[in-house]
Amino acid sequence: MAATRALLAAISACPRRRMGIKSSNFSSSLQFQRQESRIIARSFSSYTNSSSLPDISCLAETARISLTPAEIEECEPKIRQVIDWFGQLQQVDVNCVEPAIRAEMEGRNLREDAPQTFENRDSIRASIPSFDETYLKVPKVLNKE
Amino acid sequence: MLSTLQPPRSLTLLPFRRLHGSKTIASLASSSPTLDASSVSPPQSQILTTRRSLLSGETTASEIAKSYLSRIRLTEPQLKCFLHVSENVLKEAQEIDQRISRGEEVGPLAGVVIGVKDNICTEGMPSTAASRILEHYRPPFDATAVKKIKEMGGIVVGKTNMDEFGMGSTTEASAFQVTANPWDLTRVPGGSSGGSAAAVAANQCMVSLGSDTGGSVRQPASFCGVVGLKPTYGRVSRFGLMAYASSLDVIGCFGSTVADAGMLLHAVSGYDRFDSTSSKQDVPEFESQFLSMDSFESKPLKGVRVGLIRETLEEGVDSGVRSATQEAASHLEALGCLVTEVSLPSFSLGLPAYYVIASSESSSNLSRYDGVRYGNQVMADELNKLYDCSRGQGFGGEVKMRILMGTYALSAGYYDAYYKRAQQVRTLIRKDFKAALDHNDILISPAAPSAAYKIGEKKDDPLAMYAGDIMTVNVNLAGLPAIVLPCGLVEGGPSGLPVGLQMIGAAFDEETLLKVGHIFEQTLNGSGFVPPTLPNVA
Repeated sequence: MAATRALLAAISACPRRRMGIKSSNFSSSLQFQRQESRIIARSFSSYTNSSSLPDISCLAETARISLTPAEIEECEPKIRQVIDWFGQLQQVDVNCVEPAIRAEMEGRNLREDAPQTFENRDSIRASIPSFDETYLKVPKVLNKE
Repeated sequence: MLSTLQPPRSLTLLPFRRLHGSKTIASLASSSPTLDASSVSPPQSQILTTRRSLLSGETTASEIAKSYLSRIRLTEPQLKCFLHVSENVLKEAQEIDQRISRGEEVGPLAGVVIGVKDNICTEGMPSTAASRILEHYRPPFDATAVKKIKEMGGIVVGKTNMDEFGMGSTTEASAFQVTANPWDLTRVPGGSSGGSAAAVAANQCMVSLGSDTGGSVRQPASFCGVVGLKPTYGRVSRFGLMAYASSLDVIGCFGSTVADAGMLLHAVSGYDRFDSTSSKQDVPEFESQFLSMDSFESKPLKGVRVGLIRETLEEGVDSGVRSATQEAASHLEALGCLVTEVSLPSFSLGLPAYYVIASSESSSNLSRYDGVRYGNQVMADELNKLYDCSRGQGFGGEVKMRILMGTYALSAGYYDAYYKRAQQVRTLIRKDFKAALDHNDILISPAAPSAAYKIGEKKDDPLAMYAGDIMTVNVNLAGLPAIVLPCGLVEGGPSGLPVGLQMIGAAFDEETLLKVGHIFEQTLNGSGFVPPTLPNVA
């Protein structure tokens, strides 16, 4: 949590003054902090063991995305920084907390399992880059041995 | 009680005023005689006014459409809100005019000029999600939300710019162009629905559709000084919305007023059998919330309980934004609200949890873009190489990064540590919101930690960009509705930069949000957030 607050502070480089609107007086329950004008250096605790940091080339192969060496060099430190930042979730006590797949569902919401012809099939075919009568054309699959 | 306050600066007695740039509106209005800037209070809703003026014969849909197309032609070189402008706008407008002249019924959105974010499918019109991998893709079907708009007579004027596949907060991640903020052309409009927000702010369209996965409607609404409405998850069908993170995505609405955003939401809401996460909850008649200011009581929001989220006013939030939020809280108190401070202990966990979940789900959702069935294909001599190259050359840098991060978070050995744990944090966040909303009707916070920043300022710093979503992501994790509306200006740009107030409601309680938002907006001194930088229509 401290890392996220530090991150927020780091993004606000310059103070901005409000135009023509006076500050209101509030009860002491509100803490009104003056913003620093200098850039606050970011510091993140390293939550993630360096040996578990991602191998970008392997990830790219798994995700079926080709990356040039220049792209790997550019994105690797950024990805590692973000993954390291994800690591703060390890410090949260989630004992006995059920994972939430999504917001509450109202129950099963399935349609009838009945096929329905889509009328505009020509438009679907028109989007296919390589098409041959009834087949989508793709190159052969090579075995890696 | 939050404060012992100064008397409110304005309440019901002040007429609705516009800031600089009202000439722009008047010039545009010259083609729609009922929108006469020199008459009494401007309409609360462009949708309602359009309908009244069409049915009374004061103007025609063709005249309205021509004026908006003319404005787009004039302002697009500077703003770049649109990736595609429809060739059928005048034809559709003429059809509406012909129906009216024959005495036939026309829908509630007849003649309303609407922008649609480019990740929402529109049949026959390009839908690229601002990505090269879908550069020439024209869907064979309309998204359900678009289908409903068309059935009600709305005219889709074009597809708006966005960050590629919704991944970004500025539109700088678009493969095609960067949209400029109408308030200051050197600044970002926000994102990912930046084009939709800027187009409404610049009066290139009356209302627009966007999508909101982690704040992509609300943050650009704040940056551009317009109303942005995120519905409850399941309120609007996602069929035809290109999926980014399926458990978080919603289609949202932009308007220059709360009433317009609310009426557009009503038009696109409702159960859809093509979306299994679509809710069967009834959709209330939101229009009944948009009363004329003349009918307001002296304390029109008496008894409404408002919780100001303490964690959103802490270190790191721009001082001008904090002041504007506190002023807004004062204004709500003056309207009769009971404003207190609430704490959401899990608040700051939302940001990393969101990015784990969104990256993970996006890595799965974007696996369909393989160059085989649609989109750009890079031919290769082997299938896996075809996938690699089509995706490698088709996706932009931010998209690739998020897919790789998501692939990592879902991989064997890391799934429990990242994705499952983020889902557990989501449960904690939902519980905190529920507890707060059991004691409050709405919660409020800033929409973003700052006003719009300069183009290029955060482009190469992903964490700095992600941090800007701190105010909004928790709402998506909890699946709740929220509205952002302009509440003040901070210094910057030629005439100041808008700041938005976020109001968060209980699940499926958009009605309360719209009621409070509408009254807040109509009684706010100096309301009428019109960017001054753009030329008038000739």
